Amino acid sequence: MLHIRAGFAVMTASGISKILRLMGRGATTLPGRAALKIYPQILSQLSKEQKIIVLTGTNGKTTTTHMAAGILKARGYTVITNVSGANLATGIATTMIEGIRIRRRTEKAGGKVVYVIEADEAAFAKVTGPLQPMVCVVTNLFRDQLDRYGELVYTQSLIAKGLDATTARILLDADDSLVAALERGREDRVVFFGMDESSMTRNTVTNPLKSALSETTSDASYCSFCQTKYEYRARSFGHLGAFYCPSCGYSRKEPQFLVSYKEPSEQEKASAVQKGESPVKGPADVGFPVTLTYSGESITIGLPIPGLHNFYNTAAAVAACTELGEKCGDPALSFTGCAKEVGKVRPAFGRMEKIPVGSKSLCLLLVKNPVGLERTLSFVSQASDAGGMYLLLNSNDADGKDVSWIWDVDFESRSYPEKVFVSGERYGDMYLRLAYAGIDKDRMQAQPMSRCGDLLDEALAECEEGKCLYILPNYTAMLALRKIMVRRYHLRDFWK
Amino acid sequence: MQEKIRLCHLYPDLLNLYGDRGNILALIRRTSLRGIDLEVESISIGESFDPDRYDMIFLGGGQDAEQNILRSDFVSVKGEKIKEAVAKDKVFLCICGGYQMMGHFYEEHDGHKIECLGAINIWTVGKKSRFIGDTVYSSDLFAESSVLYGFENHSGRTYLGDGVKPLAKVLAGSGNNGEDGTEGAVYKNVYCTYSHGSFLPKNPAMTDFLIRRALEVQKGVPYNLAPLSNEVEDFARNALPTCKKP
Repeated sequence: MLHIRAGFAVMTASGISKILRLMGRGATTLPGRAALKIYPQILSQLSKEQKIIVLTGTNGKTTTTHMAAGILKARGYTVITNVSGANLATGIATTMIEGIRIRRRTEKAGGKVVYVIEADEAAFAKVTGPLQPMVCVVTNLFRDQLDRYGELVYTQSLIAKGLDATTARILLDADDSLVAALERGREDRVVFFGMDESSMTRNTVTNPLKSALSETTSDASYCSFCQTKYEYRARSFGHLGAFYCPSCGYSRKEPQFLVSYKEPSEQEKASAVQKGESPVKGPADVGFPVTLTYSGESITIGLPIPGLHNFYNTAAAVAACTELGEKCGDPALSFTGCAKEVGKVRPAFGRMEKIPVGSKSLCLLLVKNPVGLERTLSFVSQASDAGGMYLLLNSNDADGKDVSWIWDVDFESRSYPEKVFVSGERYGDMYLRLAYAGIDKDRMQAQPMSRCGDLLDEALAECEEGKCLYILPNYTAMLALRKIMVRRYHLRDFWK
Repeated sequence: MQEKIRLCHLYPDLLNLYGDRGNILALIRRTSLRGIDLEVESISIGESFDPDRYDMIFLGGGQDAEQNILRSDFVSVKGEKIKEAVAKDKVFLCICGGYQMMGHFYEEHDGHKIECLGAINIWTVGKKSRFIGDTVYSSDLFAESSVLYGFENHSGRTYLGDGVKPLAKVLAGSGNNGEDGTEGAVYKNVYCTYSHGSFLPKNPAMTDFLIRRALEVQKGVPYNLAPLSNEVEDFARNALPTCKKP
């Protein structure tokens, strides 16, 4: 039975949802805000005795949440999850309230319900206590809109606070020194996921990174515990890798959930071409084979969403579901059972989403922070079907006012599609960044945000048949562009 | 004979906030387009700094936690050598946190004073509220363009003492402290600003000015740089929300 105020809170929230929907607007935060006002304990009330996974971190939250939800659905669960962007306490409350009906219906039919909740790092500290999740996942920590979120060590402390409000199993990225440091004092609850050392691409011995023009930015060069500079046996990207502190001995631990892969050699690629076979898949391709290992079992799956960073997200999602299965004793969530399903997941909103338009396609890749953009540029520069690249940079509150982080990103050491398009409120900033990265002005077209739709038409017109236009907007630019795409290309809207 | 400038990038592994690296990229671009060889060397904690080796020194800003890691190395270990470089007229560009650390002290909002290098006569008082936004300044450092565009993001309020001149006058934004209409600082060849990230990319006249000063100090005679197109920079400047359209 719901507490009487809780009942009133739920009624009010549901009413607001209905009205907003009738007005044709997304109802992701307002209903939850009203409910929390009326009955602040609403989250703990609605989460009693439920199976809940909460995920946080800078990058990969939405993708990992989406993958975990996909796995759990395939393993027989009804999944209640928050829509992208609604990852503050208000959005989470909305999700829990809207979940009531789904839960009742599922339980009546004898089904199983699970909640997979993505939480902003600051919200994480507030919601884990009331939600009491069984499993928490921390994906990674990178600099992100520092004027909004504050410094990284502060974010790290918020996450620590959130973890300490629960007795949950904690999944941490072993390769991220800032995240792995959260193990300390919580050893008995922590399980690591990470990349096999020999798979790391920036192996400092055998495969050094093409040197950038100017030293690129790392978010964690110095030891979290003794402030000595880390050394690395191998690196994957950003500050992720097989780090160790030569002074105090803090080092990456071997992850229990391991992801590994083998980059196809030039020979393999050439021989496939020679034999007339389809091209050998690489890390930028869907279906690229990656191997997941846990507790002596290994299984190779096709990468559901391309890009090196998604290797981590894939491992994290499988680990979260497997751990949930162990914690609640559900054999349907065995490691191999979960791993098999992750290969079938398709991209989430704005993350590697490919949309066919006639014989061409559009691919939306949300970019919000330096490492996110760096990963995405790496992906686009490797994509064999790239028929153009379109960057949009806004600076609204939700994006962060300060766009100078684009200068932290290594644009220089990659090559891009021949045609590059630029828009957004800060189109001048982005244009200059690209020009300084050596992209000739004749290859670029830049237009203010008011003309972003027309530029999209032009970019698509210039894209070759069968190729894909890669679009890299930040948050509010994506929302705006998405609306235009719905209108111009008759695509479905995201909150329906 | 090919000109050569040696640039020391101090603590790039710690002072790398908000795209300060963009300033290095601007110096690389506008030297290489003129056939000037710019050699960038990174010097961080525990590495020795030789003031005679460099024509230019770049000091960016960092997160508080990171600035705390390097402060004692900067003040106590390298401090005298840095001051020597200042005395020898070496060209410095110091941004935000790097600017503050060149001064006497940083007073936190609870009154706690953090000793800084004291290479220039300035000091900073931290406040809770931040100045964040696009800035426009006018400067009389050089004739080519008196308008400088920037973006500030700082909670420290910096005050200039005797012997130190502002880099520019604030036309839009807050500048050093939001009170006296000044932005940045100039002392000998030390140029400081709160504008980070794309300060030099957006202000090619400033980039060229620093390159010219570095060569002049190196040679001991006036030096004229070959003119260069500012087309891409002007495009970006005109696209800024703060740009005054004619």
